[in-house]
Amino acid sequence: MSPHGDEAALDRRRFLAASAASFFGLLVSQALRTRDAHADTAPAAPATACIVLWLNGGPSHLDTFDPKPGTPSGGPFKAIKTRAPSIQLSQHLPRLAETADKIALVRGMSSREGSHQRARYLLHTGYAPNPTVVHPALGAWVSSKLGDPNGDIPAFVSIGGPSAAGGILGVQNGPFVVLQPGVVPENASHAPGVGDARFARRKAGLEMLESRFASETGDTKVEGREQVYAKAERLMASPHIQAFDLSDEPAAARAAYGDSDFGRGCMTARRLVESGVKFVEVQLDGWDTHKDNFNRTTALMGQLDPAVSALIHDLDQRKLLGKTLLVCLGEFGRTPKINGNEGRDHFPDAWSALLAGGGMRGGYVHGQTNEDGSKVVSGSVTVPNLFATAATQLGLNPDASAMSPIGRPIGVTDNGAPVKELVAKA
Amino acid sequence: MDADAGLTGAKIDEMIRAEWAKSGIVPTAPVDDARFLRRVYLDVVGTIPPPEVAKSFALDRTPDKRARIVDTLLASPAYAEHWTTYWTDALLGQAQEPAIDEGAFQKWLSGRFAANAPWNQIVTELLTAQGVNSTGGPRYGGNGGGADGGGGGTMAGEPGAGASEGAPVNGAVNWFVKYKDTPQDLAGSASRIFLGVQIQCAQCHDHKTEKWKQEDFRGFASCFMRTRTEGLDKDKMGGRKRIDVVDIGRPLPRFLKNPELAVFTQAAPRALDGSDLSKGPDPRQALAAWMTSPQNPWFSKAIVNRMWGHFLGRGFVDPIDDIRPSNETSAPEVLANLSSNFQAGGYDLKRLIRLITATQAYQLSSAARAGGPKVTDAQQDKLWPRFRLEPLGPEELLNALMDATGVEATLRATGKVDVQRIRYMLFTAYSYLFDVDEEFDQTDFEGTISQALALLNGRLVGGGTSDVPGSALDSILARPGSDQDKIEALYLRAVSRPPTALESEYFVRYVNEPHPADVDPAAIVRPVRGPGMAGKKGAPNLAGPDPLGRLEMRDARTTNPKHRAFEDVFWALLNSSEFAFNH
Repeated sequence: MSPHGDEAALDRRRFLAASAASFFGLLVSQALRTRDAHADTAPAAPATACIVLWLNGGPSHLDTFDPKPGTPSGGPFKAIKTRAPSIQLSQHLPRLAETADKIALVRGMSSREGSHQRARYLLHTGYAPNPTVVHPALGAWVSSKLGDPNGDIPAFVSIGGPSAAGGILGVQNGPFVVLQPGVVPENASHAPGVGDARFARRKAGLEMLESRFASETGDTKVEGREQVYAKAERLMASPHIQAFDLSDEPAAARAAYGDSDFGRGCMTARRLVESGVKFVEVQLDGWDTHKDNFNRTTALMGQLDPAVSALIHDLDQRKLLGKTLLVCLGEFGRTPKINGNEGRDHFPDAWSALLAGGGMRGGYVHGQTNEDGSKVVSGSVTVPNLFATAATQLGLNPDASAMSPIGRPIGVTDNGAPVKELVAKA
Repeated sequence: MDADAGLTGAKIDEMIRAEWAKSGIVPTAPVDDARFLRRVYLDVVGTIPPPEVAKSFALDRTPDKRARIVDTLLASPAYAEHWTTYWTDALLGQAQEPAIDEGAFQKWLSGRFAANAPWNQIVTELLTAQGVNSTGGPRYGGNGGGADGGGGGTMAGEPGAGASEGAPVNGAVNWFVKYKDTPQDLAGSASRIFLGVQIQCAQCHDHKTEKWKQEDFRGFASCFMRTRTEGLDKDKMGGRKRIDVVDIGRPLPRFLKNPELAVFTQAAPRALDGSDLSKGPDPRQALAAWMTSPQNPWFSKAIVNRMWGHFLGRGFVDPIDDIRPSNETSAPEVLANLSSNFQAGGYDLKRLIRLITATQAYQLSSAARAGGPKVTDAQQDKLWPRFRLEPLGPEELLNALMDATGVEATLRATGKVDVQRIRYMLFTAYSYLFDVDEEFDQTDFEGTISQALALLNGRLVGGGTSDVPGSALDSILARPGSDQDKIEALYLRAVSRPPTALESEYFVRYVNEPHPADVDPAAIVRPVRGPGMAGKKGAPNLAGPDPLGRLEMRDARTTNPKHRAFEDVFWALLNSSEFAFNH
C-alpha cells in the first residue's frame, strides 16, 4: 500500500494512460521531467551514479537490519546501538553502526515473490516476471539515460553476479559482467604471447577480411559488429580499465574493505564510479540460509560490515556520497520462525533494505514490523515504490517508458511512486 | 514418392516469385556451393562443414549434390543433437527450477529426433507426459549439456537410486516440472510455442487488439491444474530430487487454495476455440488432441513458420510465435500450402527441412545486389529478397570454433584431459556470453563487449589457433606445399571456402613480412583466473585446471616468427564477421 493513498494512485494511472498515448514509441523526453507527476519529488541535483550491493539468496532481516532481540523469532544475536539514535542493528554489524547516521533503513519492504528466480527478477527490474516482455534492469535504464554510448567504459557493470539484462533497452545497456573483482577483467587484456604490436598486426589481417565481407554483403549488421569490436578495443586501451585493478591501492585502504571478494568488489565499485561508470552491482552470495542460519549469517555479515561501511566512508571522504546512491538488499527476507535445521526460509512479506547517499535521509528508519517481524505494521514500501524512489533520485522519471517489441510501453517502474519520507530535506 | 508430392521446392519458388513480382523485388543471385554448404551445415546440424567436405563438395559435379548433402546431414547423429539443443533452449530456456533434469529431457528429445517422430506425436507426448523426471543420483557438474553429453549424470534408463519405486522415468515431464508451481505459465508457453498464439497477455487483462479474453486464458490454463508433481526424495539431503508427475483427474487442492491460481483451477478446461476439454481421463489429453488435430488452424502453421524462420532468418509471421490477424503474414499462400502439405505428409520434420532447403529463397546469395535496394529496407526484407545475415547462436559458435580449430583433438593429444568437461565448461560460458534473444526480427547487430573480448583475447580462440604439437595449425604447417596452400587450408577450416586471389596474395605477403616479436616469451604472465561463479544463474564455472590456457602458455613461448604469423591469419579468420555470421 502506498503511503500516498488511493487518490494519488488514481491520478498516476490517469497520467500514465495519457503519457502512453501521447508519446507512443518514444522515450518520454528528459525535458518533461520537471512537469511530470512526481515533479514535487524530483531532486534539484540528482545523483549521477548508483551502487547496488546485492545480497543474493535473501538475507534474514531479523538477523541484520531489523533485530528483535529477546523474542522467539529474534534468534541468538543481540542488537547494538548506533550513531543514529533511531537505528539499532545486529551486533555483527559494528562498523556499519558507526556509519548509521549516513544510512536510511527501509524496514517495511513487502512483496509477493517468494521464489528466488522470480524475486531476483523483481528486485532487479522492479517488475514481476511476465512471459511477454523482458523488463530492463534498473541499471539498464540508468545506462540508457545517463550513460555515454560512445564512452570507453560500459555504463553498467556487475561484479561477481549476473545482475539482469538490458531487455527491451538492448544488450548495449545490459551489464558488463566481471567475474573476479580486484583484477583487470578476464579477456580485457592481451592473450599471452600477444603485445600491442602483434595485436595491431592481427587487427590488420582482420580488417582486410572485414572490409571484403562488408562490401560483399552490404549489410549494416557487419558494421554493427565492428562497432562492438571497436568498443571492446577501446575498453582494452582505456586508462579506466585500471579501475578494476586494485594493486595500486594502499594496503590499509584495501584492508578497510575486508579481505573478501565482496570487499574487493565494493572497492572496485567506488573506483568505477570515480571513472564515470553510472551503475555498479556487487554481489555477495550465500544468504539462502535454510540451514545453519546463524553461523552462516554471522560469517556473511563479517564480509558485509567492513565493505559497506568502508564504501560509505570512502564515498563520503571523496565528496561522492551525495552524488552516489547506494542500495543494499536481497530478493526477500527470511521467516521469523526458525526451522528444525536452525535455518530460516524465504519470506517476502516483511523485510529490509538499506539506502545511503544520493540524497537519502541519513539516520532514518522508514516503516516498522511487528514484534516477531512477520508483518509490516507501518510504512510499507512496495518494490515499485522503492524503484521509483531510486529512479527519481537518479534523475529518471519513474513514469517514462520505452516500447516493447510487441508494441506495449514499459515504464521505468511498475507504476511506482517515490517514498518522499526517505529523501533528505534540501 | 510421397503421397503428397504435390508440393515441391519449385512450386514454392513459383509462389514466392509471384510475391516478388508484386512487390517489384529482384532477388539476389543464387548462392555459390561453398556458401550453401556452410549455411546448410549450420542450419541443419549447428556447425560448419569439415574442411575435407568443403573440398570434396566443391569438386562434386553431380547436379543433385545440394539435395544429397541435406539428406546426409539429416541422417547424421548431429541432426538429433542440434535439434535437441534447439528445443531444450526453446522449452526449458534458462530455467532455474532445480528439480529439472535437463540431461533426461535432452535424452528424451534426442531419441524423438533421431527416430524422426512426427511433430504431432512429439507435442502430444510433451503435453501429456506423466512419470518420474529423473533417475535421481548426483547432479552433474562437469559433464555434458549435449544429447549424449557424457551421461548427463542422471540419464533416463540408468539404474539410479530408488528407480524401482513408483512410475517409470520419462524425461519429457521435465517441461512440466519447470512450471510445477506456475502451471498458468505453462499454458502461455504451450500456446505460444506450439500454436504461435500469444494468449498469455490475457492472463492479466483482456487482449487489447485480439479477441482473447481473460476467461479464454483461464479455461486453457485450467487444463494444467489437474496434474500433481510429487517429490520422491523429500528427506534426502543433497543430490537431485526426483519428481513424479501424475494426472489426478481433479483440480489440485494446493492450487485451489492458492489465491492466484484458484481462478485458473476453478475454470472449466476449454480450448482456445471454446471446445469443452473436461471430458475424458484428463484435460491435458483432450487439449493435446485438440491442439494437434488436423482441424486446428494454428498447429501446423506454427511449426512451419518457426522452421522457415530458422532457415531463412525471418518467418512468414514475425516474431515466429505471434500469429494473429493484426500481425501481417508475408507470402500467406506459401505458409498455407506448406502447412497443409506438412500435415498431409505426416508431420515429418525432415521432409519439411528438405522442402525448405530446396527453395530458391533459401538458396539465394546474401550478397547485396549491385544497384538493388538497401538491405535494411524492412518492407522488402519481409519477402526474403536475399539471404539474411544472422549471428551464430552460442551452440553454433562454440561448435564452429571447436571444429575449425580441432582443439578437442589437440587437448586429447596432451594426455590426461577431460575433454567432455572442458566442452561443458565452454558451452556454459558461451551460452552465458552469447545467448541473445533471437525471437524477434533484428535489423541491427546486437552484441556485447564481453563477447568481443572473448573472441579477441579468450582462451578458446587463443589456444585453438596455437601452433602446438597435435594442433590443426601444426599439421597444416607440417605439410609440404606452398604458403598459398597453407593459407587455403586455413580458409577451408574456418570459412569453408578457398581464399580469393587477392586474399591469398595479401596473406602470403603477410606471413612473409618481418613479424614483430614484441613480447619477451620468458616474461609472459597470464592474469590470474578467478574461481568463477559456480552456482550462480547461468554463470560459467571456470574453476579447476585450465588446459586451454596451458596450450596458450606453451605456444607463447615458441618463437618461430612465421608460425606466429600463420597463427595470426587463423586468429583473424576466426574473429571475422564471415565466421561469426550465418550468411
